[in-house]
Amino acid sequence: MGFDVSSFIEQLINGLTVGSFYALIALGYSMVYGVLTMINFAHGEIFMVGAYVGLYTMNRLVDVGLYDSSKILAVGITFIAGTIGAAITGVTVERLAYRPLRRAARLAPLISAIGMSIFLQEFIRLLPNMGEAITSISIGSFTLFPENIQTAVVGFLQEFGGSRVKTYPGVFGVGGFDIGDIHITYSRLIILIMSVLTMLGLYFLVRYSRLGKAMRAVAEDKDIASLMGIDIDQVISRTFLIGSALAGIAGVMMGMFYLQIRPTMGFVPGIKAFTAAVLGGIGNIPGAMLGGYALGLGEVIGVQFLPAVYKDIVSFSILVLILIFKPTGILGEVLAEKKM
Amino acid sequence: MKKRFSSLLERINERFSSPIGRWVLIGIVVGLILILPMINFQQRAFWVRVIGYTGLYIILGLGLNVVVGLAGLLDLGYVAFYAIGAYAYALLASGHFDIHISFWLVLPFAALLAGFAGILLGIPVLRMRGDYLAIVTLGFGEIIRMLVTNLTDLTNGSQGLIGIDSPYLFGLELKTSTHFYYMIFIFVIIAIFVTQRLDRSRVGRSWIAMREDEDAAQMVGVNTTRYKLLSFAVGAFIGGLGGAIFAAWQGSIFPDNFNLMVSVNVLCLIIIGGMGSIPGVVIGSFALITLPDILRQFADYRLLLFGFLLVVMMIARPEGFIPSRRRQLELHAEELAHAGPAEITTEGGA
Repeated sequence: MGFDVSSFIEQLINGLTVGSFYALIALGYSMVYGVLTMINFAHGEIFMVGAYVGLYTMNRLVDVGLYDSSKILAVGITFIAGTIGAAITGVTVERLAYRPLRRAARLAPLISAIGMSIFLQEFIRLLPNMGEAITSISIGSFTLFPENIQTAVVGFLQEFGGSRVKTYPGVFGVGGFDIGDIHITYSRLIILIMSVLTMLGLYFLVRYSRLGKAMRAVAEDKDIASLMGIDIDQVISRTFLIGSALAGIAGVMMGMFYLQIRPTMGFVPGIKAFTAAVLGGIGNIPGAMLGGYALGLGEVIGVQFLPAVYKDIVSFSILVLILIFKPTGILGEVLAEKKM
Repeated sequence: MKKRFSSLLERINERFSSPIGRWVLIGIVVGLILILPMINFQQRAFWVRVIGYTGLYIILGLGLNVVVGLAGLLDLGYVAFYAIGAYAYALLASGHFDIHISFWLVLPFAALLAGFAGILLGIPVLRMRGDYLAIVTLGFGEIIRMLVTNLTDLTNGSQGLIGIDSPYLFGLELKTSTHFYYMIFIFVIIAIFVTQRLDRSRVGRSWIAMREDEDAAQMVGVNTTRYKLLSFAVGAFIGGLGGAIFAAWQGSIFPDNFNLMVSVNVLCLIIIGGMGSIPGVVIGSFALITLPDILRQFADYRLLLFGFLLVVMMIARPEGFIPSRRRQLELHAEELAHAGPAEITTEGGA
């Protein structure tokens, strides 16, 4: 089999698409690590919640007919809803599970984060069951909720979560265009452009806004930043807000691209995005973007030589190898050991 | 609320920390466990299975406790060693390759193999701490599971390995749950004895020193490289042992038996019981493995509850229900530092 240039370029574009997902999620890991020097284990689940909120919104828009009359508006609203859903989840998680542990021993916030990750996953999976259990509470013959409320609540929760795989409508279609022999689908192009724009926005926010300045100050030294009059809790909370919002965008995008979503969908992209963050140098924002794209391309190239089932093993091995040989990552500033 | 909850536990702990009270309690529990399979009651088979399974988790918990609780290395891929032990026995004592080696020969081999894998994992992660270690070990656990699923020629993939040989003891074929119930009981006693001796030895003190402050430990002459690898090896050895017993008991194993949730379960029971505390591991196993099995109607909510418990425990009582004293002091060092000197003496004397 000869070397096929056009299929190689198609694969590269494929890698960049996957890399976009990783980069967007990796940014959340990296930003949180920057201000808290902790890995937000629940980040993959925040991404998952974004996908679920997005899907629920989209289905309602299909119901009211907006999706048919104006597809762009519907997709826009879906993205906004997914982003807001993920952002709210992220801020809540920080407030409930991490803030009380700000001064605790090293392992405590990490274990709390693992707990939060399991909790969120199970929460989405069990939503309909919990709704049914709660609304069917009865004392003797007296039921707490009338039957119509019960069916409404359970119906709503089944629409929203549950253990079964849910499917996004095929928004992007399968269309595309050709440049010579190279076939590019619209979906990949849209994802690439949207991710790059989002990341540019983030870069300028962190580089030039007041909040960005405060975030960098907190990342540098929390105590000194606080002496300079920066409200640390607020900055951390907003960092979670922005990082989770990016994960929400990635969640909706991934739902629209791969169509299927499930409560466990956050785990593998979460670990890979973490790998990407480490690859680029955790705590470093351009590094996370670079790491995301590098990992996406690396995976696509790896699959050329190995069976596809080994794709995940390749990523995990990359992670282990970087941590052994270059724990600071490509653009790294923070040592794996030093800031622990 | 948080204070009152803690002081209630403190009082229960005190009640049982008097030597006589403790031995009476241990005697009653051990006696009950020993006679349980002999009593004839309706759900006997179910109970024997559940308690036997709990025992298996106590073994795993004791192993991981060495790594997480004593040496302070957060290992999220513990299931890998369990899987290695189980597959080692299944491959060497089943019709898959038509190799049939005695359980008692394979058992130490499986445990050693897992221990060796522990060292292999330990070497690259020597320089890592905390979060990084957690992620890499998590990745290692997943890699092993994926390999087991995908190396179809060796492991028969997701079809699993079936028809695994039963162990023989003096001509008696060990195949019922009651047999394994007693076998696991004996291994639990051995594991408790070994880990407790380790905890109180020079090795245990080095682990704890390392956990408290790695740099300081190194400064006073603890060879941290050696002790880190040793803790990984001991933990993995015990995990491999558990895996081989599991494979022999079940008679068939599948890659799905070795998913991330096993690691999470074991980690949870250690944390709920109290990191570094051996009675904590036992209590934690009964609380997290036996209870959900009895409360069948809540079985679905098990993981949801675990996740919630981890967060709540970290905030309200990071030292677990039956804390080891040193660990408790470490986790509350900050509070103690802020408290007046009088309070330190009362805490220390309790």
